[in-house]
Amino acid sequence: MTLVREAQHAYLGHVTRRHFLRTAGTGLGAVALASLGIKSAQADPLAPRQPHFAPRAKRVIFLHMAGGPSSLELFDYKPDLARLDGARCPDSLLEGKRFAFIRGVPKMLGPQATFKQHGESGAWVSNHLPHLAQTVDRIAFLKAMHTDEFNHAPAQLLVHSGSPRLGRPSMGAWVTYGLGTENANLPAFVVLLSGGAAPDAGASVYGSGFLPTVYQGVQCRSKGDPVLFLNDPEGIPRDLRRASIRAINRINAQQHAEVGDPEILTRIAQYEMAFRMQTSVPEAMDIGQEPAYIHELYGTVPGETAFSNNCLLARRLVERGVRFVQLFHWGWDSHGAGASEALNDGFLKRCKETDRPVAALLKDLEQRGLLDDTLIIWGGEFGRTPMLENRSGTDNPFVGRDHHSDAYTMWLAGGGVKGGITHGATDPIGYSGISGQVHIHDLQATILDLLGFDHLRLTYPFQGRDFRLTDVHGEVVREVLA
Amino acid sequence: MHRAALLLLIATLVASCSPRVDFNADIRPILNERCVDCHGGIRRQGDLNLLFRSEALAEAESGLPAVVPGKPNASELIRRVSHGNPEVRMPQEGHALSKGEVRMLRQWIRAGAPWDAHWAYVAPERPALPAIKQSEWPQQDLDRFVLAKLEDQALEPSPPAACPTLVRRVTLDLIGLAATPDDVASVCEGVTTYEAYVEKLLDSPHYGERWAAMWLDLARYADSKGYEKDIGRTIWRYRDWVVDAFNADMPFDQFTVEQLAGDLLPAPTEDQLIATAFNRNTMTNTEGGTDDEEFRVAAVVDRVNTTWEVWQGTSFACVQCHGHPYDPFRHAEYYQFFAFFNNTVDRDYDDEYPTLPRFDAETTAAGTALMEEWERLDQEILRIALEDSIARARREWEALLDRPEVIGRVRNMLQNEVRRVALTPEIERDAAQQTLIASVYADISTDSRLEILRKRRSEVRQEINVLSPLQTPIMRELPQHKQRKTYVFERGSFLTRGKAVTAGTPQALPPLPDSAPRNRLGMAQWLVSEENPLTARVTVNRFWEQLFGTGIVESLEDFGTQGYAPSHPDLLDHLAVTFREDQAWSVKDLLRTLVTSATYQQSSHITPLLLELDPYNRLLARGPRFRLTAEQIRDQALFVSGLLSTRMHGPPVMPPQPEGLWNNPYDSRQWQTSEGEDRYRRALYTYWRRTIPYPSMVTFDSPTREFCLSRRLRTNTPLQALVGLNDPVYVEAAQALARRMETRAEGAQEQLAEGYRLALSRAPAPAALAELTALYDKALAHYENSPEDAPTMGSTAHQAALAMAASAIMNLDSFVTKE
Repeated sequence: MTLVREAQHAYLGHVTRRHFLRTAGTGLGAVALASLGIKSAQADPLAPRQPHFAPRAKRVIFLHMAGGPSSLELFDYKPDLARLDGARCPDSLLEGKRFAFIRGVPKMLGPQATFKQHGESGAWVSNHLPHLAQTVDRIAFLKAMHTDEFNHAPAQLLVHSGSPRLGRPSMGAWVTYGLGTENANLPAFVVLLSGGAAPDAGASVYGSGFLPTVYQGVQCRSKGDPVLFLNDPEGIPRDLRRASIRAINRINAQQHAEVGDPEILTRIAQYEMAFRMQTSVPEAMDIGQEPAYIHELYGTVPGETAFSNNCLLARRLVERGVRFVQLFHWGWDSHGAGASEALNDGFLKRCKETDRPVAALLKDLEQRGLLDDTLIIWGGEFGRTPMLENRSGTDNPFVGRDHHSDAYTMWLAGGGVKGGITHGATDPIGYSGISGQVHIHDLQATILDLLGFDHLRLTYPFQGRDFRLTDVHGEVVREVLA
Repeated sequence: MHRAALLLLIATLVASCSPRVDFNADIRPILNERCVDCHGGIRRQGDLNLLFRSEALAEAESGLPAVVPGKPNASELIRRVSHGNPEVRMPQEGHALSKGEVRMLRQWIRAGAPWDAHWAYVAPERPALPAIKQSEWPQQDLDRFVLAKLEDQALEPSPPAACPTLVRRVTLDLIGLAATPDDVASVCEGVTTYEAYVEKLLDSPHYGERWAAMWLDLARYADSKGYEKDIGRTIWRYRDWVVDAFNADMPFDQFTVEQLAGDLLPAPTEDQLIATAFNRNTMTNTEGGTDDEEFRVAAVVDRVNTTWEVWQGTSFACVQCHGHPYDPFRHAEYYQFFAFFNNTVDRDYDDEYPTLPRFDAETTAAGTALMEEWERLDQEILRIALEDSIARARREWEALLDRPEVIGRVRNMLQNEVRRVALTPEIERDAAQQTLIASVYADISTDSRLEILRKRRSEVRQEINVLSPLQTPIMRELPQHKQRKTYVFERGSFLTRGKAVTAGTPQALPPLPDSAPRNRLGMAQWLVSEENPLTARVTVNRFWEQLFGTGIVESLEDFGTQGYAPSHPDLLDHLAVTFREDQAWSVKDLLRTLVTSATYQQSSHITPLLLELDPYNRLLARGPRFRLTAEQIRDQALFVSGLLSTRMHGPPVMPPQPEGLWNNPYDSRQWQTSEGEDRYRRALYTYWRRTIPYPSMVTFDSPTREFCLSRRLRTNTPLQALVGLNDPVYVEAAQALARRMETRAEGAQEQLAEGYRLALSRAPAPAALAELTALYDKALAHYENSPEDAPTMGSTAHQAALAMAASAIMNLDSFVTKE
């Protein structure tokens, strides 16, 4: 018998379970939940909930390649650009444009890769992603993505919260607000970072904005406490921790019997859950339990902070019912100003670090039957210019491209997505979309649609207005739906 | 006859003839829910906007007026809502209006279609005190309003709270710290009266710290600039100004004017300038390639929205892009208000110019002289640049037009043109004007006199920076000739300018007095004028919410038609008028009245009946009981364990936090854990970085302060349990509390009871003490058997076991809750 039940039996015989649930969410703004069509009787903020219509995907893994990977070296094959390599950029491309770093008239830069078509679908993939090339028939490429922002932080915020400004809830927060969680012993929305730096906009890209903080992403780490403050301090063994939570909850139950505040019952339940999380989170985070062939597949080494480890963790987490797993892998900001951010150096390392694990994640999910209802999203916050960025103005051994918001590639796979298709196209140099353009808000509307939500109706009232992830925009990209 | 009585009489007479239709109660909800989505502030389909009577009565696109007062049959509105053909019938979306609703609309039009203002836009008048039966219960006038409503519902108020509980409650509320056992004993044994104890709390310097914590959410105070790099900002003197203003009980009207327009007061003091940093808490973008004008506009927008939320409880942010969807504010009115804030010198500069240096006794004379020199140089540079360019242009033109009779005219024309363009604010200049000015500046940059002056100007700036490394961003108005024009931004975008507007206040509210200056100062005075219907109500409601957990108007941030109606309208008006008139905007007077009321002093026990009838305590049949704020929880842990530093003011501190949280890719700064007592300062002084907030406080719902926030939601999550149990700050506090328990009492039992008393201001019940004892016994056995575990928790097995119990005490629901 759990402590909660025990407390209930001992002190609250008259309180039914239904009553307990009803009162469990009293601190959480009943209005908000009501806007989801949730009556207060169900107001446990993380209880599993049905979306607006039958979902094609039940959970999400978002692989954010932070910094803005160059599509021109990965998916968007532009032979014409190779011919223009070294030519002065025509004025018509620069007129009315703003760049983060390019000043004056730059030169064009040909693709720093070789391309081949792969799979039955014949999708173009460069030589930098040999493993991913084997999975293209499961993937829907969006080749003409565009965004409004050309700096990292606002562009990342736009991707994840629908607004370039701080303060709005992130996609993972919206999704857990809408769907709740299937495993109360793990956080519903988990964030995994790699690449040596946090996202530019910090925790705001996985924050809850004006939604209750219970929906914010919880960063899990492969070193130190997997969740902040998860581990008991040294000198407190498990049975003593159990005894202390037991004492806390029993005194709280006594207090409840005296003062009658249902919020105390919620607190009792949360201490009990914290105790369970102390076991379940490290268990989920321990990839050492995986067999050798899985480590071979992903290229993982337990105990490291690496993107490959995070991919494997993502699979373990969704397997256990986590709703939204957000990966950030920093290091795609290929300006060419130094080795670490050069297309002919750091960029190649990023490709190597991510190619095998991403392909492994798709295969692994598929063989476990999870790919059908797990949506995978891959992409950065923007793309890169077909022009060479040469910030110093002198010869240097590194090449790079500046930030570019008008055209870049993202891809979707799994949960309800049509595999083996390419949607949208860019002009012969990859500078602008010429068909099938998809704005970030359209992508968000599509993701929500796959999860069973009408993006116009997943709203939350704040400052006198009903806010939604897609702001006042967004069209579902029907072409990629299976 | 008394006006209210007269109105009542008229109302009764009207009611006896036909059922009275009340616009606000009966009609507006129909319009808001079913009509204004398409015929309102966002869309005006058919050229009809049902938010304003004048527009409802005017001809719409069809040539017909929607409403003809007195004539329902001639009103297009009635024809359309009752039409049989679904193609014609309104509303087109969803079901038709019910027969009852249509009947109500007909009656309302027949009665002349009276369009009463929403209650919040009508100035409050002092309501009569209601009649009550239990006349011995009230201790303040406000209690009569509460009691009248309870008696109405046949409910009884709760008995008074137990004395120790009340002492803890009022101490937490007024100074944000727990009551010490001595405080409790002194009040509960009758040595000090409750009223005298309240005075002592109001006089405590911690009072200002507690209330500043609330205000800083509204002021969106942070120690970083926001956006990508989110680098540091030095603006803590503003935080200290807020602490001091609360401690000095600065009247709220003055508090308002100094923050919004202190720089425009005659001969402003240094403090009044620091106060204006309220509006320099907006974010600054230092990223590459960003348009400073875009982010200057974003900051101005934030100032407008913040002012409306803080003082008017109005969601003005909607009006940035279009007319207000529900409330009578027009799109252009947003930009009229915007114009008040559009003429400050700051412009998203990386160095946060303009700033106020701080000089000490030794440097004041030199510093002031330097400041004056800088101003002089700046003016001189502008003057020379202008004259030079005019002279040069004249020479060129004279060479070109070698005809004496035209030279004079051309010279004048040219002089005027260059001067005009130079004085046109930068964003106003068209392409030709920009080219002209660019060429002017390109030429004069080679002028040696100017070079010297410029060099000197930057030296002077350097010297000022050396004399005063501490510079606080403040507001400063542009000189007259540099003032910007304000335009309506179509759909809210600064790139799409509509018509030009001048500064003004919305028509739905009383006008700016003719005598008031048309600038921020006049605007601030308008907010706190007697005629303004919102400021006093919004303010008393805020303080009420802090004490009682829920506002009289639950939506502190929205008093408009889509906000919540007040639970006790007369109580709100009574408090508002009393606050503005009798209490002369004294916050301490207001709080004194609230905490000495019978309503406040009730027990917070919830009976099954009250839980069923009134789960959210809107009727106030019991005292408040809710979780403390993030700051209060941290402060309690440090205070009861004896670790808390009482040092006030100064730069923000960095108490311990887990390693590796600060890893912004473009900012290499690291969290430098503070030394000595700065590790234990009140949470108010913790370094507040917007993108990477202090983790344990965020877990308890502290906001990141990007924008003004009126209400923190209170969540209850397992992550909070993990903080309380395992955050090293709380573990250290438990160990310190254990040491205090050991020195203040003899024997384990007494020591456990003492820990409970220190933490919760009351003695433990025997059952609670039994649980703590069982925990202690188990822990003691463990640390005696495994002595290697003890040193991390305490210096002896006994102390380590006490620390386990102390940690349990500090994780109790009662510890994190005001009861």
